[in-house]
Amino acid sequence: MLWAYFYCYQLTLDAYKKDDGFTDCETPAVVYHEQGNQVVQANSQAIKEGVECGQGLAQAAALCPHVHILAFNREAEKETLLFLAHRIYPLASDIVIDSHNAIAIRLDNLLQYYGGLDALWHVLINELHSAGIHFYFSTAWGVEAARLLAHNKTNSYTDNKESITLLLSRCKLEQTSLDSKTIATLAKVGVRQVGQLLKLPIHELGQRFSNDTIRYLTALRGETFPKYVLFRPSISFQQTKTLSFEVENTQHLLPSIKTLLVTLEHYLRARNLLTSSIFFQVHFREEEPLSIEVNGAMPFATQKDWLALVELKVETLLLPEPAVAISLTCQQFEPIKNDGNDLFSHRFTTVAQKQLIGKLKAKLGDDSTLHPKAGNSHAFEGMTVNQVEETTPAYTADMAPAFLFLQPMPLNLATRICFGPIRLQTQWWSGTASKKDYFIAETSHGVRLLVFKDAKACWWTQGVYS
Amino acid sequence: MNIPTSPINETRSKAALFDKHPHIWRAREKPVSENKFLLGARVLDEALHGGIATSGVVRIASLTGIGEITLFKQVLTTHRAHKLRVFIKPPAQLQAPWLSNLGVDLEQVIVVLPKTDQEALWAAEQCLKSAACHCVLLWNNTMEAKAARRLQVAASHNDTLCLLFTSPHHQGASFPITLDLTLHIRDAKLVVNIIKQRHGWPVSDIVIPHSWTPNNHAIQAAMQNNKKTEPALHSVI
Repeated sequence: MLWAYFYCYQLTLDAYKKDDGFTDCETPAVVYHEQGNQVVQANSQAIKEGVECGQGLAQAAALCPHVHILAFNREAEKETLLFLAHRIYPLASDIVIDSHNAIAIRLDNLLQYYGGLDALWHVLINELHSAGIHFYFSTAWGVEAARLLAHNKTNSYTDNKESITLLLSRCKLEQTSLDSKTIATLAKVGVRQVGQLLKLPIHELGQRFSNDTIRYLTALRGETFPKYVLFRPSISFQQTKTLSFEVENTQHLLPSIKTLLVTLEHYLRARNLLTSSIFFQVHFREEEPLSIEVNGAMPFATQKDWLALVELKVETLLLPEPAVAISLTCQQFEPIKNDGNDLFSHRFTTVAQKQLIGKLKAKLGDDSTLHPKAGNSHAFEGMTVNQVEETTPAYTADMAPAFLFLQPMPLNLATRICFGPIRLQTQWWSGTASKKDYFIAETSHGVRLLVFKDAKACWWTQGVYS
Repeated sequence: MNIPTSPINETRSKAALFDKHPHIWRAREKPVSENKFLLGARVLDEALHGGIATSGVVRIASLTGIGEITLFKQVLTTHRAHKLRVFIKPPAQLQAPWLSNLGVDLEQVIVVLPKTDQEALWAAEQCLKSAACHCVLLWNNTMEAKAARRLQVAASHNDTLCLLFTSPHHQGASFPITLDLTLHIRDAKLVVNIIKQRHGWPVSDIVIPHSWTPNNHAIQAAMQNNKKTEPALHSVI
């Protein structure tokens, strides 16, 4: 077996940098671990100012007063790592998420597909670099050995057993996953390096140390292979992004939305899928999260298409208080249909129509764009419905007006009747029985109205003929 | 080497430039043969030199309810059948049975209800630019020349027709559009005034017969005939 181990030592910084798009050399930034009161990650600019990992906040601030401080969050790092795993999954099958900042990939079963270790290695490294992640790496026969080498910043890949053994033997015991008590005990007898430890016969050690230590050592030697839970990609897409500052203006949400949409695009493209509906949630400190659903009239994948719609939707959005995080969920996917009817010009129109309707709905609201359909009613009020309801009988009448007012209005103009009467007597089975005599009436200006006389002989106007 | 041009030469060359410019129409020229949609009323089609242009903005100033849409029935129903007819900010709820009676395919109709006139203009422009629409019907009383120009450009570049309905009281400034009409009813006939048309002179008082609602003529005729005829056979003498 051959495993590669990538130890991502500054995931929080990498994720932060990717969001804001500034380069490493601009602002010194450190990641601060509150519980341990120490700086755990520092970018190159901060290191140049003298900040080192392990320093306290006061020391870091004293060395570099304008340092940007980010809070360390194990869950956030884990999420970044999971996204990375999603990205690598199409390239490599066996992926192990190790702790919150490392990823292990089994290589030996892939070598045949990629035609050699070099080719495979470059594919993986390219993907990791394009994800903008900094890491230490190494390869070994097992996850344990590879982890030790990566933590030792080996940064070389090989499948040669001798060189791996050599590299391993040089590592210090402090870098292994052994507990400090075992390390201290070993140090007392002069064992300080992994090489010395591996030379000792295992049954001798077994009498003195716990089972866990022995299990670890055999794994390190490549004699046993502990079982690992392999990474399985989730069925739906879900990503949350903590905003780097509290956003009050919706326009400032757009860059974050764009990065989320880019990840969605990567996700969809890798799976040859499209989606026609995405779902945003804007999170606040106090208020309930605000949900935004964006529906495309046709399925898209690309970030550009979605962003155009989301921009229109966001324009009309009002934030009740500054936003702290935004999440994107996508659960319905559609496969890309390759039916090859590009040659028909109507298809272009259909696509253009769908794009147009999507655009209008995004800007003006979902209920602003309607498809009038004939409804299941003889009364004028129910003849037009705006939802598509299948299999209902639809009625039409010659006398239907072009436009119907929302509410009938009292007729207070002098008019002349030019058509009618038509009596509609309906709803006798319910409490809202009505008996109306409909006419078409013309005003002195020639405007033709739909008027009716109700049971009390009052005259109303309800529509107009254009 | 610079040859000094005389002022006379310069004006001549400018005049020549204008002479050749395809977008300047001179009254002595015959109407340019453009693609046109017939309206179906012979007198009106002649006055418009073969109907209304297939693209651009047509402003119709009229009261709502004098058959102003029915006048464009043939344009709406017979051409570019696979494209959309978009009704933007109609004066009241558009009725599907009426559209069916008119002969419009309901599949190709969308109604857009923007909240403000500004949004309506935006929607109209998007529709015109989308290449998905045959005709955009827009109701707007606050249009300005600049917005009209925008719509005109969007419509003519994308070969789309825009019918702009305004109330007769708001017809103020002249707009840079293809066709400007006013409509009113006189003695049960529709009177069309062509305020402005491209490649042609204004024409006023075109009277065309117009029928846009069912009427009681059949009953009235029957009543009239009934009076003239002899007593019916079954009546008792």
